[in-house]
Amino acid sequence: MLKVDNLNVYYGGIHALKGVSINVDEGQIVSIIGSNGAGKSTLINSISGIVKYKEGEITYKENKLPKQAHKIVKAGICQVPEGRIIFANLTVMENLNMGAFLRNDKNAIEKDKKRIFELFPILKARENQIAGTLSGGEQQMLAMGRGLMSNPDLILLDEPSLGLAPLLINTIFDIIIEIKNMGKTILLVEQNAFKALSIADKAYVLEQGVVTLEGDAKALIKDEKVQEAYLGKKSTQTV
Amino acid sequence: MSGFLQQVVNGLSIGSVYALMAVGYSLVYSIMNFSNFAHGGVIMIGAYIGYFCLTLLNVPFFVAFLLSAIGSGLLAVSMERVVYRPLRKRNAPFLYFIISAMGASIFLENIVIASPIGPTFRTYPAIFSTTPIMLGNIALGRIDLLMFVISTVSLAALIYIIEKTKIGLSIRATSYNIKGSTLMGVNVDMVIFIIFAMGGILAGLAGMLFGMKYTVYPQIGNITTKSFIAAVFGGLGSLQGAVVGSILLGLIETMVSGYFSSQYRDLIAFALLIFVLVAKPTGLMGKNTEDKA
Repeated sequence: MLKVDNLNVYYGGIHALKGVSINVDEGQIVSIIGSNGAGKSTLINSISGIVKYKEGEITYKENKLPKQAHKIVKAGICQVPEGRIIFANLTVMENLNMGAFLRNDKNAIEKDKKRIFELFPILKARENQIAGTLSGGEQQMLAMGRGLMSNPDLILLDEPSLGLAPLLINTIFDIIIEIKNMGKTILLVEQNAFKALSIADKAYVLEQGVVTLEGDAKALIKDEKVQEAYLGKKSTQTV
Repeated sequence: MSGFLQQVVNGLSIGSVYALMAVGYSLVYSIMNFSNFAHGGVIMIGAYIGYFCLTLLNVPFFVAFLLSAIGSGLLAVSMERVVYRPLRKRNAPFLYFIISAMGASIFLENIVIASPIGPTFRTYPAIFSTTPIMLGNIALGRIDLLMFVISTVSLAALIYIIEKTKIGLSIRATSYNIKGSTLMGVNVDMVIFIIFAMGGILAGLAGMLFGMKYTVYPQIGNITTKSFIAAVFGGLGSLQGAVVGSILLGLIETMVSGYFSSQYRDLIAFALLIFVLVAKPTGLMGKNTEDKA
């Protein structure tokens, strides 16, 4: 469904992504794990059109992906960004309406809103509240609900567990599986490697802008190098 | 008592036109985080367009209003295109925006002075009788009334667009976070185009109103200093704040002129600005909603 081929991104003189290639199949959860600064968010932002890439090609549903962010959303890819970036000055309802910014199919929008309120009942309870007053977990749910409002086929989730309490992290990951069951494809970027691998079909390990490992998520979870570097087992020198 | 009410009426009339200009500052600031000091130039051009429409083209005065609004809107949009967009694309620091804005302002002023229009003061043809409408003991100047009506109607329209329409929603979202609204599929170039167009249209109206009330000259845009103060006073980036700040400033100015002396007018206005900024740096209604980390 999504094919990233030999992507190279530079920030000034820094070579942030060095020929990254990934493949996301329809209906799957694909996780990208890696430490801080490995280039995970850069990869996701390149797909979303927020970061411009110098070389490489991104193909989506057999077509070249447009480079402007709004055209990418129109094509059916949405991003739930790191740090959530909900609109704290707008109400919960207005945030959800922003998610549907490019859509004009009123009835379908209302239907999707209902579905999102089933998925996140707390948002229904807070629909007229200013989003800035929500708790961190609620804001994450709002960010995910807002992303779903664009009715995407592919959802890019950037660090959804960041800064949340362990119990909430479990809830968020349960919801990610539910979103997959709605027929959506998910590209998940996470520092919480164990969680990310356990719900994924396929995974990539990104280190300093290079894909160092890739494969079946269940296999990667047992991989010695992954266990050592990201799952905290037999930890020696790496953090 | 009637003396006081008279000052209130005068204050509302001048304050409403300040508001018409102040919202232009606020709209741009809310999204681009800089004060567009070229706004005065847009107002000045609006005043000239209205003047020449009436004197050279002899169009009805409401057509002149329409043309100066359109002309100023186009000017504001093209300035964004030529001056600010290249800076935006290069992620220039905001100081560069302010300096470019000042440059653009001086450029506009001098291009008028250098042109056949020249630096002379020009008086709008008399459209209304100068005898005021009497409401008991209160005199309502016809132009003052027009200033108040046009400003109130256009500000109401602007606030309706911002609060109730989808475009308005996207402007409010973009003002909170550009990346966030980009990810929702908002074309930020388009949003910026729209805010400059709206600010420019209102500036054109304000320019013509000021031209009618006073005279037209290349430095007439300097009057925006007042509306800039009002926008800061009310809270830069907040439309409601800009309107409230402008009305308050208009009232304070007329009260000071009426009860003390017009010499103290600007002194007190600027002292007030400094006082508000010291006491509450975000202004009366400035944005301060926080994002949770």
